[in-house]
Amino acid sequence: MLAVKELIVFYENAIAVNDLSLEVKQGQIVGVIGSNSAGKTTLMNTISGLILDMRLKERRKGGQRITVMGQVFFEGADISQTPAYERARAGIVLCRERHPIFPDSSVVENLKIAGYLRTRAQVRQGLEQAFALFPNLARWRRRKAGFLSGGEQQMLAIGMALMVGPKLLLLDEPLLGLSPAMQTQLVEAIKEVSSRTGVTLVIAEQFARPLLPWLDFAYVIENGMLTLTGPGPELMTNPEIKSAYFGV
Amino acid sequence: MLQGTLIYGLINSVVLMLVALGFSVTFGISGVANFAYGALYIMAGYLAWLGLHALHLPYWLAAPGAVLITAGVAALIYWFILLRVRGLVVSEVIATFGVGLAILELFRYLGFIGFEYTLPQVDASYNIGETVVDAQRLLIVAAGLALAGFLWLFTHHTKVGLAFRGIAQDERTSLTLGINTDKIAAFSVAFGAGYAALAALVILPLGTIAVNEGYNVLVNALAVCIVGGLGSTVGIIVASLLIGYAQILTATYLETHWMMIVSLVAILLILAIKPSGLFGVHKELEERI
Repeated sequence: MLAVKELIVFYENAIAVNDLSLEVKQGQIVGVIGSNSAGKTTLMNTISGLILDMRLKERRKGGQRITVMGQVFFEGADISQTPAYERARAGIVLCRERHPIFPDSSVVENLKIAGYLRTRAQVRQGLEQAFALFPNLARWRRRKAGFLSGGEQQMLAIGMALMVGPKLLLLDEPLLGLSPAMQTQLVEAIKEVSSRTGVTLVIAEQFARPLLPWLDFAYVIENGMLTLTGPGPELMTNPEIKSAYFGV
Repeated sequence: MLQGTLIYGLINSVVLMLVALGFSVTFGISGVANFAYGALYIMAGYLAWLGLHALHLPYWLAAPGAVLITAGVAALIYWFILLRVRGLVVSEVIATFGVGLAILELFRYLGFIGFEYTLPQVDASYNIGETVVDAQRLLIVAAGLALAGFLWLFTHHTKVGLAFRGIAQDERTSLTLGINTDKIAAFSVAFGAGYAALAALVILPLGTIAVNEGYNVLVNALAVCIVGGLGSTVGIIVASLLIGYAQILTATYLETHWMMIVSLVAILLILAIKPSGLFGVHKELEERI
């Protein structure tokens, strides 16, 4: 479904992603595991096309020079130069890190804005789906999203991403900054999303322990390079992973 | 006397609201600066005049034509000028203000000054109690209500209107949701300019079309949007009433030439007391924390 080939990304002269290739098959849950500054977010931004917009904005204000090499294929087509909004239309939806929501809008309005590409009936259906999946959100329908807790904002962000009707859902650090209880709840929700909608998932995360058992395949990256790959449960038993990511 | 003040205060408030609505769509709701707003307002007036007197078109053709051309020019301003500095707020303000200056002073240079530059008005007047009100002013009130209502519906219940709110708050998130942010922003600028043109067509018949009015319109629109709070339609209505009545009271009890200072004082006061405006949605979060 998705293939990234020999991807290299530079910010000025600093390399963020170094010759990285990966592949995701339909219906899988794939993890991208790595510590801070490993290149996870850059990888997600490149798959979603956001990096093209960032590059343009930086060039406009004479800021950082961003260089992207390599290719991204989605359902067989080369989408390397396709702008982010076109990719969303094609079904690649990114939920950025740190719960990207519209803080001044109410919960319902956030979800409605996210339904930009959908018909009215689909938006109504999407609202129901989001509230069924995250009962917490249903309680705060009219509340400003900026006043929700971090975990609720993350749920809202995932609800918004689902509203777009993704074929491939990219989650960038969904567990970042959440309490352990909230993390468990969110992992359950992510599993439910996968089984209920059949959407293909790519999850970038540094805290791998709650997720790893459920990953069909995981890529471990360090300094922008692949270091380990394998099915999630298999990596669970790998001593290197244990010491690096579980703190044992 | 009091009755007259109340009625003309209301009319003045509606005039302010009409002038501010378009500016609020672009700057308040979508977060795109368009400081050529006053120039586009005046341009719509001159275009309608040219349509009527130079091309001898009937009113029903000249007026919509002026609205469409103004919206089109605004879209071009976005595409060829604003797009290049998009995301750098100060540059957006300076660039569009510059374009506005150029348009207004071009009209002055071409000699569009004088009493013959007027638009046709509805000729009738009615008595409300003891006060005489002409039909054009009643038309302004009706247009104000209709345009404000339509704007509220548009920004709350249509996809494009909701997308306006999206791009103002987080452009990257909007991109990931499939919103073509540049297209929406261009549309927002054109939409705001269209509103300015409609306002011009109902308000300008009250006097002559004058270049200097373009600057006043920008100041008034800015004052209403800042006092009401950027992005809030209810705020616009309340702020226009406040400033509108304050202006009329100033004119009645002080002197007419103090009127222009009211909106400037209002901007200063609100920035000192509640910077996000009376009903401001932006920055409210930061102010609370």
